[in-house]
Amino acid sequence: MKRQNVRTLALIICTFTYLIVGAAIFDVLESQKETTQRKELDKRKGELLKTYNLSADNFNELEKVVLQLKPHKGGVQWKFAGSFYFAITVITTIGYGHAAPSTDGGKVFCMLYALLGIPLTLVMFQSLGERINTFVRYLLHRLKKCLGMRRTEVSMVNMVIIGLISCMTTLCVGALAFSHFEGWSFFHAYYYCFITLTTIGFGDYVALQKDEALQKKPEYVAFSFIYILTGLTVIGAFLNLVVLRFMTMNAEDEKRDAEQRALLARNGQAGGHHHSASRGLRNVYAEVLHFQSMCSCLWYKSREKLQYSIPMIIPRDLSTSDHHSGISSVSTGLHSINTYRGLNKRRISI
Amino acid sequence: MKKQNVRTLSLILCMFSYLLVGAAVFDALESESESSRRRILEQKRSEMKKKYRFSEDDYREIERVVLQAEPHRAGRQWKFAGSFYFAITVITTIGYGHAAPGTDAGKVFCMFYAVLGIPLTLVMFQSLGERMNTFVRYLLRKVKQCLGFRHTEVSMENMVLVGFLSCIGTLCVGAAAFSHFEGWSFFHAYYYCFITLTTIGFGDFVALQKKEDLQEKTPYVAFSFMYILVGLTVIGAFLNLVVLRFLTMNTEDERRDAQERASLKRDRGLLDGTLGLHEGTSRTNLIASPVEDLGSLCSCVCYRLGICDSPLMSHSEHLGCHINSVYYNSISYRIQGCSPSSRDNTGLSSPGSTLSPGHSFREFPRFRRKSV
Repeated sequence: MKRQNVRTLALIICTFTYLIVGAAIFDVLESQKETTQRKELDKRKGELLKTYNLSADNFNELEKVVLQLKPHKGGVQWKFAGSFYFAITVITTIGYGHAAPSTDGGKVFCMLYALLGIPLTLVMFQSLGERINTFVRYLLHRLKKCLGMRRTEVSMVNMVIIGLISCMTTLCVGALAFSHFEGWSFFHAYYYCFITLTTIGFGDYVALQKDEALQKKPEYVAFSFIYILTGLTVIGAFLNLVVLRFMTMNAEDEKRDAEQRALLARNGQAGGHHHSASRGLRNVYAEVLHFQSMCSCLWYKSREKLQYSIPMIIPRDLSTSDHHSGISSVSTGLHSINTYRGLNKRRISI
Repeated sequence: MKKQNVRTLSLILCMFSYLLVGAAVFDALESESESSRRRILEQKRSEMKKKYRFSEDDYREIERVVLQAEPHRAGRQWKFAGSFYFAITVITTIGYGHAAPGTDAGKVFCMFYAVLGIPLTLVMFQSLGERMNTFVRYLLRKVKQCLGFRHTEVSMENMVLVGFLSCIGTLCVGAAAFSHFEGWSFFHAYYYCFITLTTIGFGDFVALQKKEDLQEKTPYVAFSFMYILVGLTVIGAFLNLVVLRFLTMNTEDERRDAQERASLKRDRGLLDGTLGLHEGTSRTNLIASPVEDLGSLCSCVCYRLGICDSPLMSHSEHLGCHINSVYYNSISYRIQGCSPSSRDNTGLSSPGSTLSPGHSFREFPRFRRKSV
């Protein structure tokens, strides 16, 4: 099977397993409290009905009014400040739902707005995130020079560590601010920041909903908007650093396969339909090796030592070589790494 | 200013203008209806308070009970089916909020769950989306062959059209299904599908919330989960086709700049006849290690093939990649020169090897371009 197919299948299985495990754990953590809370509320409801001599219908009516008033509890939601807040939650896909368009015209415009806005925002955050990463790399390079370190190149590990620290700091700064302004505990404010900046946006905690903040506290409103957009940029920079390369893996493999087919076609060779079974196994092995070599490549790169990434070349060889088995060329390739003096030295030092 | 900086600045400006315009339009569309609805509801509320003789505190107590009981109205949210639904809303970042962890332990686990789950899901959807695009390309080519077209290659416009139609089709199928099962109008069900599949997930419309559906209507529950995941794949495939290349633009421009700087240095080095195996510490570029170069070799290849897909690429970007072919030859020269023991075994020695791609790729674009 082609490497891309193996990879995709593995990812699908991983995701489903992850969902099942998550569901089981959430069940264990929350079911108990849910049952208890439900019983309490039912009891309370019964008491209220008796105290105020309400029929079930009366209570339903009351319930309807209360629920419909819920979005209005946070103040006016659709004046300019509130609409801007809403527009942010749409194009960043946070989508709290604290305010949602009630008119059909609003719903239609919301869909069209999202259609153009979401790709624009995705590209913008990745673009800005990449600029930030480049700038941080430059700063770190200068810092290393100033500190008089021998090797002043910035490794991937350096960048990842800095990225992680910035994400944590962003979350903590937000948690402090929102716990102060909204009166939440630090933990709940941190949870709010996390859910917001990962764009999940449950809406169980929403900023700017207390005391008519949207209309009355413009500085706090401005801070919240800037915080959300800056925080998303920091997270976006980290994703750009770590995750984006994996999203283009399949496409790059496809292109490489296409090139190889073109090469073979030019050289007058058949498309390689023989040894299909062993080729399949070889490709799985190649994928595992490629993953391994990618990890080790990243490791070596972090030491800025790997001069020639022969491991990266081997998977190509496996697919194109006809006159020797792929596995032997792999082991030979690995031997060639071992015989390369420079790498040997590194291995000893590691 | 560098191209990447210009691009980034203009994107920021675009986004801010987009937000301002959107805010103004939403204000115009919704403010009026909001204030009239609010007036009506507040009037109703004071009528009820008078009717049942509630004090302010009484009303607040009732309000608290009602609001806290709201998630329970839809049935058990945290049994396995409900938890699975919740887990989906977390890792896909939809996040309806119809059910949110109430315990602190649940909140902590939710955060850790998201940290690992969201990147996994992003990569999975892009991976599967790319596979789907490749399969559709293959099918479309076969269809063109069957229909006896002269040009059987699948162009980017074909793919975009098919992708767009699949998205609309997915949304309509979902709208039809959910309007039937949930009793919503077709428009509201369509709006629900759209908000879900773009992962916005307001939570104003949420499926599987009619009384005890999660526990009782298992086939419908399974359909909903499958619909959400398949729908996200279709949208992901379309994004992979159209948007992903823009997400990597800045990175590729940086790489190309670094390569140009490095290739200028190396050309000088080659001319001097010295192959610098150990780069000096006086490097000015931070990224140009040979490993990065080989990685950028891959990206430049993709970039060049990408040029073929979009004939609007500027002439200077074309030149940028042509400069690199000199560089690729120097890489292959160095590798052949430095690992003689492996030469015969790994097949790197042949001039037509995969490491001297400069020649083959220059031909390749020409081959592809004819089809566009």
